[in-house]
Amino acid sequence: MISEQGRILERLLGGDFICEISDEDAWRYLQQPGHFEAVDQYLATLNRSLSTAAEGQVFFAAYRTLGDNERKVLSTQFQEIAAGLMPLVEWLLLIQQSSGSDVPVTQGSTIRSNELQTTIEDTPAFKEQLAKIARYRLFNSNSTEVVGQLNLVFKRLTELGYLLRPNPDKQIYIATGKVEYLYEVLRFIDETEALSLSEQAESAIAQGSLL
Amino acid sequence: MSQSLHQAGVKLLNALSRNADLIMQVYLSGSLHEAEATPGVVENLKKLGILWRPEPGAPLRLKKAIRTLLEGSLHDERNRQIDANIGSALASLKTLAQHYKEALHHHRYAEGQAHLNDLTEHVYALTESLGNNVRVLFSRINNEFGYVASIDAKIRENELAQNQVSELLSQLELFRFDELSDVAGSNRELRHLLVVALQQSFSRCTQELSIAQSRLLELLGRFREFRGRTRLLKGFVLHMEQQPDFMPANYANHSQVPLLFNQARPLLQPAAVDVNRVDHEAELLELVGRIKALHRADKPRDEQRAAQSIDVEQQGQVELDDQAIHQAVESYFCEIIDTGKRLTALEYLGQQQLEFDPEVWIYQVIGGYQGLNDEERQYFELATEIEDHPIFDGNKIVRDVELGLR
Repeated sequence: MISEQGRILERLLGGDFICEISDEDAWRYLQQPGHFEAVDQYLATLNRSLSTAAEGQVFFAAYRTLGDNERKVLSTQFQEIAAGLMPLVEWLLLIQQSSGSDVPVTQGSTIRSNELQTTIEDTPAFKEQLAKIARYRLFNSNSTEVVGQLNLVFKRLTELGYLLRPNPDKQIYIATGKVEYLYEVLRFIDETEALSLSEQAESAIAQGSLL
Repeated sequence: MSQSLHQAGVKLLNALSRNADLIMQVYLSGSLHEAEATPGVVENLKKLGILWRPEPGAPLRLKKAIRTLLEGSLHDERNRQIDANIGSALASLKTLAQHYKEALHHHRYAEGQAHLNDLTEHVYALTESLGNNVRVLFSRINNEFGYVASIDAKIRENELAQNQVSELLSQLELFRFDELSDVAGSNRELRHLLVVALQQSFSRCTQELSIAQSRLLELLGRFREFRGRTRLLKGFVLHMEQQPDFMPANYANHSQVPLLFNQARPLLQPAAVDVNRVDHEAELLELVGRIKALHRADKPRDEQRAAQSIDVEQQGQVELDDQAIHQAVESYFCEIIDTGKRLTALEYLGQQQLEFDPEVWIYQVIGGYQGLNDEERQYFELATEIEDHPIFDGNKIVRDVELGLR
C-alpha cells in the first residue's frame, strides 16, 4: 500500500501543482509543518525542493541547486510561460466579463462551459474575443465555430492544469490553484519590470476608454 | 369614535386588497402609468392616502408607509434604508413614561392605561425597527450585494452599508439604561418595558451589528482583491496593446532565479513490470487476459478478408499438377515403341531413377494404358504380375505391370 507521502512525492516529481482543488488531501498534508520538511528532505536526494507560491495555495517541486542544465530547462520553461501569458489573461477576462457578475476567476471558481457558450454566441464582441484567443499558439485552433474553439480551449487548459473537470459527463470546470500562480506571475512581472499595470488600468477606466 | 375609525380602517384595507394588482405594479415600477388605470379608482386611492403626487406634473407614487409595509413583509432586498433615528424615539419614550407616571400619581387610571398602551406600542416599534435594520444589513451581506453588477458598485454599496452600521452603533450609544431605569422608577410595567425589553433588543442588536461589521470588512477586502486582480489583467492587456513586442526579461538567466520560476522538470517515468513478483500474479494475468481481448478487437487489416472487386469470367480448365508423371508415363510408352522390348514398369522406374512412389507409378501406367484410345491400345500389351493376398483370398495384389508391343 502506497503511503500518502509516497503519493505526494509521485505527483510532485511528475511535475504536478498541488492545490486545494486538484488534490485536497495532499494539500492538507503539506500544510502541516512537519510534513513539509519531510517531503522536502526526500526531494533533496533528487536535487529537488518543495516550493510554494501564491501564499501557500500551491505546492510544486523546484530545483535545489541550479547547474547549467537546470538553467537551460528553466529558461525554456520561462519562455513558455511568457508566451502563454497573453492568451491566458485574455481568457480570464473573457470569462469574467461574460459571467455577468464581474468576479474574476480564482481558485475554486466554477465555470459552466455550456452557459459560457450561450453567452458568447449571443454576443458578437465575445465571439471575436474567443476567436482571437483560440488562434494563439497556446491553443492553436483552426475551428470557426464557437463550440469547437471553446472545447479546444477548455481541453488545453485542463491539460495544462489550470482547470479541473470533476465529472467527465458534465460540462463543469473548476479553476485550480494554478490560476493563482498565474496571478502571482503577473504580479511579479508587474513589480520587476515596473509596469504599474493597475495604475494604467485605473487611468484608462477614468478616461472611460477601457477595452 | 373608535367605531368610525374601525370602519375607515376596514375601508382602507379593502381598497388595498381590491386594487392589489395596481398597487404592486406601482411598487415594482416606482410610479403609476395613469393611462392604464381607471380615473375613478386612482382618485379613490389618492383620497385614501395610498397614492400621492410629489409635485404637480409628476407621476403618482406609492405613499412611504405602504412601501415600507410591503418592503418589510416581502423581505425585499431593494430596501436599503436604515432608520437610525433612535434618539427621538427614546425621547418620546421618556415623555410618554412621564405622562403615565403623572396620570397614576393623580389616580387617573383610564388615562394612565391609554398612555401605557401608547408606550408599549412605541417600545415594540423601536425594537422591531432595530431588528429590521440588522436584518436588512444581513440580507445584503449574504447575497454579497448581488443586486449590483460591477465590482466597483459592490465596493460602493459595501461602504454605504459600513456607514449605516457605524451610524446605527453611534445611535445605539444614546441608550442610557441608568436614565431609563430612573424614569421607570419602581413601576413594574415601566421597568419591564423600558429596561428589560429594550435591553434585550439592544444587546441582540449590538451583537449582530458587530458581526455584520466584521463581515462587511471581510467582504470589502475580497472585493478590493477582486478589483486588484481585474486591474492587473486589464492593465496587462492594455500594456500589451501599447507595446506588442514587450517581453519580460528571462529571469531564469539571473544569478538568483526567483522561486516562482524555479519549476523542476517532470522526472518520473512509469515503472516497469516485475514478472517474478508472485503477489502481482493475479493482476498481471488479468492484464494479459485483457491484452488478448484487445488483440482480437483490434485485428490488423486483413487483405484477403477485405472487400475486393471480383472479375466474373469463364473459368479456365482446371489443370492438375500431374504433368511430370504424365510425361514420364508417355516417355515409358515411347521407350517401349523405340526398343520394341518388353519392360516392366518398376524396371523402367529403376532405370530412369524417377522419384515417384512405385504404387502411384503403377497406377499411372495402368491409367495411361487404359487412357489410350482403342486403336492405339491394340499396339500394346499390358501383362500384370499378380499374386494372391496372403490372408484375404480372392483379393489380388498387382506387384508390377509389364508393357510390350503386340
